Amino acid sequence: MKFVKIDKKEWAAGLDRLSAAYRLFGPVKEGNFHEFKALDAQERPDMAYVNTRRSPKALIYPQSEKMFEFSLDQTRADHHILREAGKDYTARAVIGIRPCDADAFRLVQKNFDTPEYRDPYWVQAYEATTLVGLGCSSPCSTCFCTTAGSGPFHEAGLDLLLADEGSGYLVKVLSPKGEALVQAAGWSDATAAEAAERRLQDLRGEAEARIVSRVPTAKLKDQKTNHLFDAPFWQEVAFSCINCGTCTYVCPTCWCFDLQDEVSGKDGIRYRNWDSCMFPLFTHHGSGHNPRSQKTQRVRQRFMHKLKYFVDKYDNGIQCVGCGRCIRLCPVNIDIRRVCNLMNHFDATACAIPAA
Amino acid sequence: MTGYIEKIREIAARLLTDGTVEMVIGFRKGTVPMMNEPFFVKNPLEVATLVWDSNCGINLANYLTDRKEKIAVLAKGCDSRNIVTHIIENKIKREQLYIIGVPCKGMIDRQRIAGRVDGEILKVVEAEERVVVSGRGFEKTFDKADVLQANCRLCIHRNPVLYDELAAELVSEQQDVDRYVEERRIEAMDVQQRWAYFDELLASCIRCYACRNACPLCYCPTCFVDESRPQWVGKSIDPIDTRTFHFLRAYHCAGRCTDCGACERACPVGINMRVFTKKLEKDCLELYGWEAGMSLDQRPPLDTYKVDDPEIFIK
Amino acid sequence: MAHMGVEPDRIQLSWVSSAESNKFVEVVKDVTASIKALGPNRNFVKTLAKVA
Repeated sequence: MKFVKIDKKEWAAGLDRLSAAYRLFGPVKEGNFHEFKALDAQERPDMAYVNTRRSPKALIYPQSEKMFEFSLDQTRADHHILREAGKDYTARAVIGIRPCDADAFRLVQKNFDTPEYRDPYWVQAYEATTLVGLGCSSPCSTCFCTTAGSGPFHEAGLDLLLADEGSGYLVKVLSPKGEALVQAAGWSDATAAEAAERRLQDLRGEAEARIVSRVPTAKLKDQKTNHLFDAPFWQEVAFSCINCGTCTYVCPTCWCFDLQDEVSGKDGIRYRNWDSCMFPLFTHHGSGHNPRSQKTQRVRQRFMHKLKYFVDKYDNGIQCVGCGRCIRLCPVNIDIRRVCNLMNHFDATACAIPAA
Repeated sequence: MTGYIEKIREIAARLLTDGTVEMVIGFRKGTVPMMNEPFFVKNPLEVATLVWDSNCGINLANYLTDRKEKIAVLAKGCDSRNIVTHIIENKIKREQLYIIGVPCKGMIDRQRIAGRVDGEILKVVEAEERVVVSGRGFEKTFDKADVLQANCRLCIHRNPVLYDELAAELVSEQQDVDRYVEERRIEAMDVQQRWAYFDELLASCIRCYACRNACPLCYCPTCFVDESRPQWVGKSIDPIDTRTFHFLRAYHCAGRCTDCGACERACPVGINMRVFTKKLEKDCLELYGWEAGMSLDQRPPLDTYKVDDPEIFIK
Repeated sequence: MAHMGVEPDRIQLSWVSSAESNKFVEVVKDVTASIKALGPNRNFVKTLAKVA
């Protein structure tokens, strides 16, 4: 693996060179929070940020996205034809994404990019994007990435991993896309791989030691699905839930959407919006029946999906990277760490519910 | 307010033990600073999990609608007025409720506090008039009055208007509070300025509906934004649709909203959507002398007609 | 609506009975005139949803 060093004095010039070849996105401060935004020329990503309020999934998978267009206007040559909406899949780069969020894209990819079915919008956007990761030297108290299959210096899903060393960045090149990016930026100060790898391991170890939140997941796979489904703790877990879409919308691994048509005059579009399993009408059938009409059923569904169904289906850990956004933003403080603990330790044969 | 909890637990234990109620709805301690989770207790031995402090801003009246049990619920001034509205609107019966009134001196705004420190807040300690906030390498003390939720700062109904038992002594109501400074500021703007003001206000809305769902008044089985045959409002983040959602929701709360602030507290992206409801609240008060939820003897506002109701806006 | 940034003259509330045909005509003429004076509505307009 190749390693490069970037002196921070070269950073801005490199970004300027990159903006000629890529559309750049990065964390930008907005009020008290950061969000990923398209960077204007000369606009710099705030590399001192902790993490964004909303996940960067919207960069690859927008919340409301046009898919098709159509027109009944007979004067148009393509009238009455459902045509694919034009998109811009020219190269993009996300500067400073955290390893947990990049890893989340790989989890979502299991759903959107399969041998049987590829979501062309998601896949093309993902393939056009180079993810330039920034390792977390100061994780939050709500980060539990290390026990959720990711980590503050995790490499999966990234094309480059940057480690902030004060006066510069140590960069590990993880993919051909990453290599192409450092070339385009002119960051060519290569450094000895062995020493750099050891340095990275040290930084990784220090950061991981700072993670204070953990979730137990070892027993999830062996739990019987029906036992968890019928467990008595769901009522208590679900009581405070107000069934908004906050957790699903800020989560980097949630992927559900709803298709809609809208028309105006003779023109129309077919587009998709993020949908949430928390909404009462999420499972409302055309027949009028709704198998998840009750709040408790929906809350149970979300946690079972994240922490059990995904585990069973993909054998790749939980559908969660431990970013902690749902914990920080849930209006009523429902905590996935608590629920994971309840699910992992649930013993259907015991008399008492284990203490949270 | 920090001293209330012993009394609350005592009342809760008593009510559950003697069978007056089947469940007590209150809060338990949250897992992150400045958050508590709405919670119910059915077993008198578990009342020790109930907490009460200045982070109990979520309106517990939201959890009452259409319940069938006998319930004890903790209610601040604003919450109690929502309970009155629920009873008038037949969402719950008075006989089902044992209202534990909690006179309130205001809830603190965690986003406001977070914005005033640099770094993650790990611990918050509350004393009567002060909040001490600390994290890795910093500690800061705030006067509670400086970091109250926006609606609490303007509150003129801190004491519950309907209750079966009080958890503490009544507190004095704030006097000479001008509740409509911001609304008058907007009224003084010209049309384009107002349009731009609301555009900017709603720019980050993600249509999560946390505001709607945290609101005790929003209990429609299917909300107008969720209808699709016919579809009244688009479901995307199109700015016009987003604005329509907020503006229509405020209309549905007109004359019913008690300014409890649960909507702003719930919003994950920090939108101050109370400017919509407060304008309607101002109009109801100034045109009709109407305040929501003050007495069980009121009829709902759209149900009442007086011959001298102002009609200046009807041409 | 006016509070939100739509010109107040675009909206009018009037009580008109089906037996008050004269008043109806007057109201329609007045409102049409005041709206025409303002020109096309540019603010609260939606055509196709503005989505990515």
